[in-house]
Amino acid sequence: MPKTLLSIQGVSKNFDEIEALCEINLDIHSGEIVGLVGSNGAGKTTLLRLMAGVYKPTSGTVNLSNGKPVTSMRHELGVVPESTGLYSRLTAWENIRYHSRMHGISDSVSWARTEKFAEHLDMKDSLSRHTKGFSRGMKQKTALLRALAHGPNILLLDEPTAGLDITSARTVRALVRQLRDEGGTVIYSTHQLAEAEQVCDRIVIIHNGEIRADGSPTILLENTGTDSLEEAYVSLTLDQARTRKEDNARESAFTGWWRRLFTPRTPTTTREVIEDE
Amino acid sequence: MSEGSFLRVRAIAKKEVVEFTRDWRTIIAIIVIPLLMFPLLFILFPVLLESETAELDALELSIVIQTDGLPDNLGENISLNSMDFTIELLPNLTHLSEPGDDLERVRSSSTDAILRFESNDDVWSYAILHLSTSERSNEARNRLLSTLSEWESSEIRERIVQGGMDVNATLDPLRWDGDISDADVATTGEQSGMILSMFIPLVLAIWTYSSAIQPSIDMTAGERERGTLEALLCLPCTRMELLLGKWFAVATITGVGVLLQIFGLLFAIGYLASSSTFLGVPQLSILSIGLIILSIMLFAVMVVAFELALAMRSHSVKEAGSILAPALMLILFPALFTQVINLDGIEGFWFAIPVVNILLALRELLMNRVITEHVLIWALSSVVYASLAAYYASRQFNREDIVTSLS
Repeated sequence: MPKTLLSIQGVSKNFDEIEALCEINLDIHSGEIVGLVGSNGAGKTTLLRLMAGVYKPTSGTVNLSNGKPVTSMRHELGVVPESTGLYSRLTAWENIRYHSRMHGISDSVSWARTEKFAEHLDMKDSLSRHTKGFSRGMKQKTALLRALAHGPNILLLDEPTAGLDITSARTVRALVRQLRDEGGTVIYSTHQLAEAEQVCDRIVIIHNGEIRADGSPTILLENTGTDSLEEAYVSLTLDQARTRKEDNARESAFTGWWRRLFTPRTPTTTREVIEDE
Repeated sequence: MSEGSFLRVRAIAKKEVVEFTRDWRTIIAIIVIPLLMFPLLFILFPVLLESETAELDALELSIVIQTDGLPDNLGENISLNSMDFTIELLPNLTHLSEPGDDLERVRSSSTDAILRFESNDDVWSYAILHLSTSERSNEARNRLLSTLSEWESSEIRERIVQGGMDVNATLDPLRWDGDISDADVATTGEQSGMILSMFIPLVLAIWTYSSAIQPSIDMTAGERERGTLEALLCLPCTRMELLLGKWFAVATITGVGVLLQIFGLLFAIGYLASSSTFLGVPQLSILSIGLIILSIMLFAVMVVAFELALAMRSHSVKEAGSILAPALMLILFPALFTQVINLDGIEGFWFAIPVVNILLALRELLMNRVITEHVLIWALSSVVYASLAAYYASRQFNREDIVTSLS
């Protein structure tokens, strides 16, 4: 039985009246790649932020196996957020070094690790470049290097291959598997089922803030009695997906009213569109 | 603060300053403009003003004089002041200042001004028609007024002599004896301190606030909008360390800007003082200088924390800008108000009002007045306000939704 690294028990997360996550129970084990699969707005990013300690649960606990809160193991955490979070006026290496310093890692150790992975990701020549001109793929790779430079035990990746070309996406997936083989644990958020099937040992399907399934691809197929993961996913998420509302949750009532006041009614017919012109 | 915590705060502050100064526009905003603003205003502007005045003085003006008889010496004086004139008959009007048929002539600048001059036995009446929106016309009016005034003075003198009286005793029966400046017992240094006390607190208040706006927004709402904050919040640093690091960075950038601006101001004043007898170097005791530095530091702690908090509350750069820019009024009005408060016998409560307290303290200290009661009130109240601002900022940095953006 693999060792439990992270235990999420009865976690719900509300943003005002919106329930982003509802009664989540999930154990993350050492040395596995866990795929969080779901549509936009399903709650994947919220769950990742809870695991990273950026959010506090409204109810329930996100603890380490020893019962300590997740914030106490941040030095063991490598995170690649959806936005990559790179500073455009810094070079790729300066971005990586900044985070390593915050982890208390010396520049030389950080450089050695970065150099090793940069070679793998074909990024070595780009480390001295400012990230401003980087393509989406290069930004993703830099963010990945930054997350790996301090030698984390757990990697939280939010849509790590979004916007990447086929070759880059393959390279990232291969690196993730390599990290798992070296004993690392990876939590991999994606809305691409095929990608999750390729990379992950275990797939957690999240829909409308609830976990609808949790297991290896084979178990998911068995439990749903379907022939493909796509069919399994569809059968588990028959209710209509909600839209992503979390970011707008904190807009004040007055701000919302004022915005609506200056928003004209959307036309419903072609005739109305022409009249609007 | 532990060593690890200190290193993280330093790393945050260093990265923020490095990143901020990599934009050349920032260098112009925080170094070039503060450094050059006052020298340009105090040195170059007067030079420009002088050259404009010289240009006006060199103008040959053309005027019309409508009169029923112009004294010869007045006509000569008008010619001597570079004004060509033609003489016309006075129009038939109730009052000389009514434009009448001459309105269009002046409005169309076909003449720079019209002097109407009418003799009534021993007195004369006059009016000058001019166009106040035209520089030439204004200049013509000023030259005519000056010429008429001189002519009137000489006329008065002549009449006094004709009346058998002494001109000086009649016109100047009360006289100051000696040099006026000798009678002021304040030293030149004290006078300079008083003059500086009218400038420096105002400059400090406004510049401290305004130069902190851009970095405060960039390091909070900017990070939030660009999505860099989320990665930062996943790092093993506390929100307080994050706030402290960013506070140090904004305070450093603002401090450099304010110091350079004061340096520029002192340079400009020094330049003016070198050619002036009334302006000198202010005389300040070591205690006054120390208290000035303390008051500026407390003010900076409060202002930067307040701005960081407001910016962190905002979901986007645009929102932060539209909150922080008008909030300048919270500094500007007290700053302007403070300039007119009389410091002699001032009540202690003034030194407990936020913003006003530090600005009044600066005014007193620049005049080398160290009044223990006032120092205690402004220092304690400023510590309280700075702590409240820092607490408010820490609350904003601890908000969960700072990771999300509305953009």
